[in-house]
Amino acid sequence: MSIIIDSTTRVLVQGATGQEGRFWTKHMIELGTNVVAGVTPGKEGEEIEGAPVFNTVRRATEEFPADASLLFVPPGFAKDAVYEALDAGIETVVVLAEGIPVHDALRIRRAALSEGAMVIGGNTSGVISTGEAMTGFFPYWIERVYRPGRIGVMTRSGSLTNEITAQIVKADFGTSSLVGIGGDAVPLTRFAEVLPLFEEDPETDAVVIIGELGGTMEEEVAEAIEDGTFTKPLVASMGGRTAPKGTKMGHAGAIVTAGKGTVEDKVTALEGAGALVADQPSEVGELLQSVLTKVG
Amino acid sequence: MKLFEYQAKELFEESGIPIPKGKLVINVPELDGAVEEAGLPCAIKAQVLQGGRGKAGLIQLASTDDEVRAKSEQILEMIEDGHGLLVEQALDIDKELYLSITPEPVSGSALVMASAEGGVEIEEVAQSTPEKIIKERVDVSEGLLPFQARNVMFELGLDKDGVKQGSAMLLNLYDLFQRYDAELVEINPLAITEESALIAADGKITIDDDALPRQERFSLSRDYFESDIAYEASQEGIPYLKFDGDIGLLCAGAGLTNVVYDLINYARGSVDSYVEFGGPNYRKTAKALELMMKTEPKVVLVVTFGTIARADVIAEDLVEAIKRLEPDFPIVTAIRGTGEEKVPDLLGEVGLEQLEDTEEAVEKAVELAGSAKR
Repeated sequence: MSIIIDSTTRVLVQGATGQEGRFWTKHMIELGTNVVAGVTPGKEGEEIEGAPVFNTVRRATEEFPADASLLFVPPGFAKDAVYEALDAGIETVVVLAEGIPVHDALRIRRAALSEGAMVIGGNTSGVISTGEAMTGFFPYWIERVYRPGRIGVMTRSGSLTNEITAQIVKADFGTSSLVGIGGDAVPLTRFAEVLPLFEEDPETDAVVIIGELGGTMEEEVAEAIEDGTFTKPLVASMGGRTAPKGTKMGHAGAIVTAGKGTVEDKVTALEGAGALVADQPSEVGELLQSVLTKVG
Repeated sequence: MKLFEYQAKELFEESGIPIPKGKLVINVPELDGAVEEAGLPCAIKAQVLQGGRGKAGLIQLASTDDEVRAKSEQILEMIEDGHGLLVEQALDIDKELYLSITPEPVSGSALVMASAEGGVEIEEVAQSTPEKIIKERVDVSEGLLPFQARNVMFELGLDKDGVKQGSAMLLNLYDLFQRYDAELVEINPLAITEESALIAADGKITIDDDALPRQERFSLSRDYFESDIAYEASQEGIPYLKFDGDIGLLCAGAGLTNVVYDLINYARGSVDSYVEFGGPNYRKTAKALELMMKTEPKVVLVVTFGTIARADVIAEDLVEAIKRLEPDFPIVTAIRGTGEEKVPDLLGEVGLEQLEDTEEAVEKAVELAGSAKR
């Protein structure tokens, strides 16, 4: 089992016929993802790796109902594309684009919350249930990075994810599902909103979060542990401990403002709630070994 | 993109938010016209993007023509970059308030913040007396509603006329926030004059860089950056940061870069600069190396673990760039991810060694930086 996506999830790909869309749709299908259709306005009648392409999400889903949609659309068009997916009743939407305007992201998040849908991203590699299916781009064929297993992962960074999953594999574990929350200032789904899914998943034994400076998502995870929403072992690795204040460290969301968002505060909150915090990526494996042995 | 004060005030004026009388001047000969407009006494304010202008002597009061000239010359000498001086009517201020609007990511709304303790940094108020900050959350699909603006203004303790002026001001400010894709609109201080008029004495507007493609009125030029390199990097869409240490970080992916930055500090090394070419930028390795050469680090550390940012492509481009540019600093490499099996041979062409482990690479770079001559 896994969360958000598995081999039975019917996946629609919006923006499938572009270069990136084609390349990764092929890999998604090779992994076992059930891609039912693609959508690109003006390209109806074409095919993408055997899946039919439609002009609109509405026309696609009339023939091929979908549970999830993956968006390969440029950031300026993300809002429209998400709304189109939500309008067709799709409940899980993954937005890969980096650079979605903040005001668009606020509106998307607002709309998703009121529809009860989960929109994940932006600025993310997507979601993968290792060995089963993915919506996004992960080099699942690199064995030292992606091995099926029982550790759930949530991350604010694509580049750091491979670094950490390599440590997980090195410690002789594998991953169940990996959710790319993304590096934007307004993540469309937050860490704490994914945690209940990992809590319920019988095939996830522990969760690793890959956080960084900025925002309050890690603190919300600490709250979820404290109020009993999440009870499994949790290990956190966070970048930006030594970052100067007030500097935007690469990601739009990676900035300490008004004294908020320091890694120090996040460590205090998480450790206070009983989570384990790795000082550096290489410690993640040992920490997992320590908690999972204890659990038995 | 942070706007200069005079630009923020132009937007204020257009939207009906009262501002002090004044004029922007680029040089000393223009001062006469400006003083005529602003009257005496007046405030002379350097148009630079740095904070703390008052303490730095970049804002000064003058009450005679001679004083205006002397102080303007003095300030102009202190600023290299920037957009000249804003000469403004000096207000008779009775009270200073604070007013701002920012995105609120948790609920997906906009957040109005106000305080009766204006004129100081809101961060200070937030830390010492958070109860003194008034907050009103705005549904972005509805926009700010008049009753919400009244809520804020009555909470600030304004009288009936003040509430009327303040509500109109806040509604206009929200309109600017929305129309210009702002990450911040701020009036601090919001002055209440002795004649009970509400006037935006200072203004800050930051426009979301990701929205600039649809904000035709504003575009980033050299004036908005600290250095030529920072501007050049921005034009290429490459995140660039400058610090004052030894090691140049050439990394793909912001998350990984931040961890490498920490690891260098843990290892008692120091970072010179940060050039990040991950994600869609991964084909800009050569450009990134060029930028790096201009910042003159002692050692360059290349760390990637990319998916889309293919390791083989990065290694190939790096090798080619090294051959062409012949950098004179040592380079440490850990280039991993998609296509990584081809990397060791590629790097071998220019005598570089592929390291598998980030921490090992960091240690090596710190060691080299320690022994390098400057």
